[in-house]
Order: sequence, then C-alpha cells, then structure tokens
Amino acid sequence: MSKMQILYDTLLEKDEHGDIPWLAESWEVSKDGKTYTFHMRTNALWHDGQPLTAEDAAFTIGYYREHPPVVNDLLIGGSYIVTDAKALDEYTLQVTFDKVSPTYLTKIGGMRIIPKHIWEHVDDPIAFTGAGATIGSGPYKLDSYDPQQGAYRFIAFEDYWGPEPAAAAIEWIPVGDSVLAFQNGEIDLINAPADIVPSYRENPEFTVKTAHSFHSYRLMMNMDAVKALQDANVRKALVFGIDRQALVDKAARGAAMVSSQGYVLPVSPWYNKDIEQYPYDPDKAQELLGGATYTFSLLTDNSADGMKVAELIKLSLSQIGVTVNVQSVESKTRDNAVNTGKYELLLINSGGMGGDPDYLRTIYGTGGTTIKGWSDPQIASILEAQSVELDPNKRKELVYEAQKLIADQVPMIMLHGALDNFVYRPAKYDHWMFRYDHSKCDHNKLSYVIRTESEQAGQTT
Amino acid sequence: MNTRTFHTCAFLEKFSTYGKIGIAIIIILICLAGYSLFAGNDMHMIPSGESLERPSIAHWLGTDDLGIDILAQIGHGATVSMSVGFASAILAGVGGSVIGIFAGYFGGTADKIVTALCDIMSAIPQLPLMIVLGAFFGSSTANIIMVIAMISWVGPARTARAKVLSMRNETFIVAAHSYGAGFAHLAYRHLIPGIMPIMLVSVIRIVSHAIVAEAGLSFLGLGDPLSKSWGVILNRSLNFPGIYFTDFWKWWILSPLVALMLLVVAIAFIGRDVERIVDTKR
Repeated sequence: MSKMQILYDTLLEKDEHGDIPWLAESWEVSKDGKTYTFHMRTNALWHDGQPLTAEDAAFTIGYYREHPPVVNDLLIGGSYIVTDAKALDEYTLQVTFDKVSPTYLTKIGGMRIIPKHIWEHVDDPIAFTGAGATIGSGPYKLDSYDPQQGAYRFIAFEDYWGPEPAAAAIEWIPVGDSVLAFQNGEIDLINAPADIVPSYRENPEFTVKTAHSFHSYRLMMNMDAVKALQDANVRKALVFGIDRQALVDKAARGAAMVSSQGYVLPVSPWYNKDIEQYPYDPDKAQELLGGATYTFSLLTDNSADGMKVAELIKLSLSQIGVTVNVQSVESKTRDNAVNTGKYELLLINSGGMGGDPDYLRTIYGTGGTTIKGWSDPQIASILEAQSVELDPNKRKELVYEAQKLIADQVPMIMLHGALDNFVYRPAKYDHWMFRYDHSKCDHNKLSYVIRTESEQAGQTT
Repeated sequence: MNTRTFHTCAFLEKFSTYGKIGIAIIIILICLAGYSLFAGNDMHMIPSGESLERPSIAHWLGTDDLGIDILAQIGHGATVSMSVGFASAILAGVGGSVIGIFAGYFGGTADKIVTALCDIMSAIPQLPLMIVLGAFFGSSTANIIMVIAMISWVGPARTARAKVLSMRNETFIVAAHSYGAGFAHLAYRHLIPGIMPIMLVSVIRIVSHAIVAEAGLSFLGLGDPLSKSWGVILNRSLNFPGIYFTDFWKWWILSPLVALMLLVVAIAFIGRDVERIVDTKR
C-alpha cells in the first residue's frame, strides 16, 4: 500500500527526475557489476527509538524472500534477484545479485526496510497485528487507523534523521463527496473530476497539477478459455473495432490518453511511437473478422467508471458484429478472476506503468501469468536481453523492438489511461510533487517533507 | 354512440380541475412511453450526440455522459415506472383483497393468522425490508414488482377484511346465505362488487407508492442495471463526480426527478377525485 511509503524508509528515494540517496548515503558497485555496497546513514532511528542499521536491511531482504510482501520488486518471474545480503559492519550493507542488470539498483532502492528487532519473532506477517506492527523509520509514524472507516492519521516523527516533516499530522479521511469536502476546506488535496478542473485553473486560489496516472484500462482476453481469441486477427479486429478516443472523451471526459498497444505509455521516455497505432477503423476490423460474428462475455467491476467503459466497448463492438454481454461484479471478484482465469474478456484499470520498462518482462516475459493462454518466445528473449543490457542505447533499441512485436500480437488490448488532476490551495500547502514513476502526489513521501535547495539540486543520480 | 360519448363526458365532468390535470399528465407520459416502446430505434440505449450536451432542438432534455438522449431515456423510464407501478399495485390489490375477503368471511383462526401477519408486516420498516428482499431476489424488473407487491398487500387486505366483516351481517347477505348461497357465490355476487370502489382507491394509493419505491431501489443500485428507469438515471447522474459543480445537473438530474414528481402528483390528484366520486363512506 502506498501509505506505507510514508511509514517506512528505503535505501533510495524517488523525486521528479530519478532515484536520490536516502538511507544509503552512497554506494559502490563491484567490478563484475553484481555486488553493491551501500553506506548507510548513521543517525537513522526507528519510531521506537532503536537505531536503524545495515543489519535491519539485510534482515529485510531475507525476510521478503520467505514472506513476500504484496508488492515485491525483488521477485521476478518467480526467482529472487538477491543471492546474498549481509551487513559488513553496523552501517555498511553488501548485496549480491544473481546477475548484472540496469534495473536492480532501483528495485533494491525501493525496498521498504522493516525493523529486525520486531519482525524476527514474527512467522506469519499477514496475521501479525501485535505491538510494533507499525513501527517504521519514515518521517511520519502511524497515530491511529480505523479499519471500519478506512481513516488513517500519521503524525510527524520528531527524531527523523532527514528532511524535516512539513506537517504536524497527515490524515486520510473518507468523505462522501470529495469535491464538496475540498470546497469546504475539510480536505486539502483532491484528484478533481475532469469537468470541474477548468474552473480551478481559472481561479488563482488553486493550483492544478496534471500527470499521467501511470494506469491504463485494458481489455484482457482469455485465450485459454476462448479458442477464437487465439487468432491474432480476431484480437486485432477487436482493437480496430473499439473507439478508444470515445473512451477518452466520454468515459474519462477528456482527462485521459489513448494507450499504446506496445504497453509502454506514450508519456514514457521509453515509448516507441513507430509501432502499429490501431486507429479506430470498423471497416478494417470487419475485414479482419472475415464476416464471422462472435459473442463474448465481458467481466467488469461495478464501479460507475468501469460500467461506463464496458458499455462503450459493447456499443463499439456491436458495429463490427461482435456481441458483448457485460457482467458487472464486485471489484474483488473481478480481481480474483484475473488470477483464476474465469473470464472470457475482462476489463481492468491497472497501474505499475511508470519508471523503468522492465515491467514488460513481468507481463509478457517468461513466467508471466497475467495473460492467459499466450506466450511468445521471441518477445520473451528480447525482454530477457534488455534486462541485462547495460548500454542504455542498446537497451532502448531492445525495448523499442519488444513494443513493436507486442503491438503486432495484441496479447492484451490497451485502452486508455487516465490523467490525474490534483488540485490544492498553495496558500495552505505548496509542497505537493510527483515522482518520476508515480503520479499520486498524496502517496509521495517527498510531498510531506521540507527539502533544502541543495537536496533538490545535484543529488539526482 | 352519442350516449357513450355523453357518458364519458359525464364521468370526466365529475373530476375537478386538478384531476383533469392529473389525467392529462398521465396521458402525455403514456404517449411518451408508447413512442419509446414502438419507435424501435433504441434511442435510449445508443448514443445519438456528444456527451453531456445541453438541451437543444435535437435533444430536448440534453444528453447524458455517454451521449444518449435523455428524453428517450425518460420515455423508456416511464414505461418501466408505470408498468412497475400499476403491475405491483394490481398484484398487491388483488392479492390483498383475496386474503382480506377470506379472513373477513371465515373469521376464526384464518382471521387471526391474517391479522397477525398484517401486524407483523406493518411493524417492519418497509425500506430496509425492501432492500433486503431486492438484494435477495436479484435485480430485474419482475423481481422489483414482486418485492413491492409483497410489502404492499397489507393495506388492501385490511380494508377488504373490514368491509367484508361489516357486510357479513347486512340483511341481503344473511338472506342469500339462508337460501343456501355458498362462499363462491357470495363473493362473486356481493362481496367483490361491494369492496370494488374502496379497492380502487387503495390500489391507486399503492401505484404512487410503488413508483417511488422502484425509483428508490434502482437508485440504490438494486434495480435492473440494464433498464433505463428513472431511478437508474438518477443513480448514474448523482454518482457523476462533482456534478453539482457543473451545469449538467440542470438537465441530467432534474429531468428524471421532475418526471417522477409529475407522475406521482398526477396519480395523487386522480386518486383524490376517484375517492370523492366513488364515495367510500357510503
């Protein structure tokens, strides 16, 4: 969960441009490129007053191997990337990886370090709610959590080693109508609906920050369950047959971008624009289908947004002779179906599309389980090659090539990705910022601390 | 033919101005519903304009977020609302009357059971019960009619029972009974005609109640999500993020709301006049 980022510190932190030193002040890489030695800060403390040491970091790496957290960057295609981690002395951490990869520093840098003195006694982390379960090392500590309401309250940690916490307390509170609550000053930041953003833009009292959400709606196709979808032409016909611009205009009210069939978002520096773009073309879609008609059931969650997108897809595809029966269920049921494969077509809005393009490997590469009934050895081998390519230019070529091949295959239909429009009153608080790989400024640790000029300049790696 | 026209006019003459307004509103809504039923162009399903267009010549009540004409949706919603309203009222009226006649005529244990059931039903708060039943049976128009009928039969049953109780001792019933008339004959010849006028009034009351209940259930998401009933339109428009900070509510929320109010008020006007004309106290 993203709120954990405020609670726990990491070796590296992320700002608008890239990774910056955080708990690790500096690091060296061995000649063979596999071993990293991190020099950690000596003044970092846990919220209970114990010092944070390299021992904690080494313990965390081992613990995540045994008990993987919800999001585990250290696990790729079923194998753990760290082969050895040890504390050389109290504040020096040595980590050895299974191979040389340009992506590993960010992955290990983003690992949230947990206190050894609490978790070494815990065998079942999911069930553990005892004393110290929320002891972290971040600039804020958890004051209270109300699971019924879903309300969180964090308060500043006075003994924090780093940049000073900017607020005395941060609260996440549930509100019925966020726009109304924002207007009344009950909350200080909203992700505003597209139709009211213009009125905030015109008003100097407010600042609007826009960024791609690094999420995209996607139409997943179960090629295990539906033989017809194994034909690439049918999949292509579906992309040509869906008016994705209409999804942007009508479902997202303009606050979105059409996504690329190469998966990498058009806003990414890794985006290859010279691939098949699949403009809306119902004639071409019908030609690809060759007169055949199909009926698919489409599973979506019952959110207003999901239903709207599903309805538009249904209307669009009915023009090319594809009948879609929309089934709306609880979002948890839908999320579960992604894993169990109990669907024909499935609509979901997922993220994780910011930052390094190695995410392609977890979806389209070897060992990926996201797309049911599809794999491609050529794409898998290119994605494997880019993950160990240290020359940035060569790596870019490989990533571009992979996008082109993925777009030609359409293993999963990428629809549209929302733009976030964060609105706040700068007179009240003006430190909100985005991370280079994440667009929710309320999730970003650096939004809540006061960074000095020197910290903002020159330290970016 | 002349006499018939004369009679119809005489019947209409008995309505007050309000009653006539009510009848006019209902006729307009029936025309709208009929048009959307028989036009066969699925205007209420398929986008015919840009999303959230203001009311104009092409779209009298504007369009919704998907660009679907709102007037067409209101017309389709009128079909749903009126069919749910009348069907569940008739179902509740007929069912309730039958139960009431049985209880009133036979008395004894049957009467006690029915009275107890009525007491229980009227003690349970209706909205929560409706939500539970609606969620249990699943969302479809037929189920909504069932659910509303299931909680609305108490009124007609009580009225029918009371009326039958008082009629039982009338001399003509006693006389018919002594000539050997059975329950079926009595019910058909005397009891049902006797309770008919009073039933008409209580059924009309249920109609407006049922229409509001259907809209409420649909609004809460327990209606048929594929239908475009007024409650479903309201559900979608009110859930549009920040709708009150835009102009869209002026046509998207107000249209179904006004339609709903007009229909309910029209039925109330008619109900009041019918009550006066049939004079239930006679």
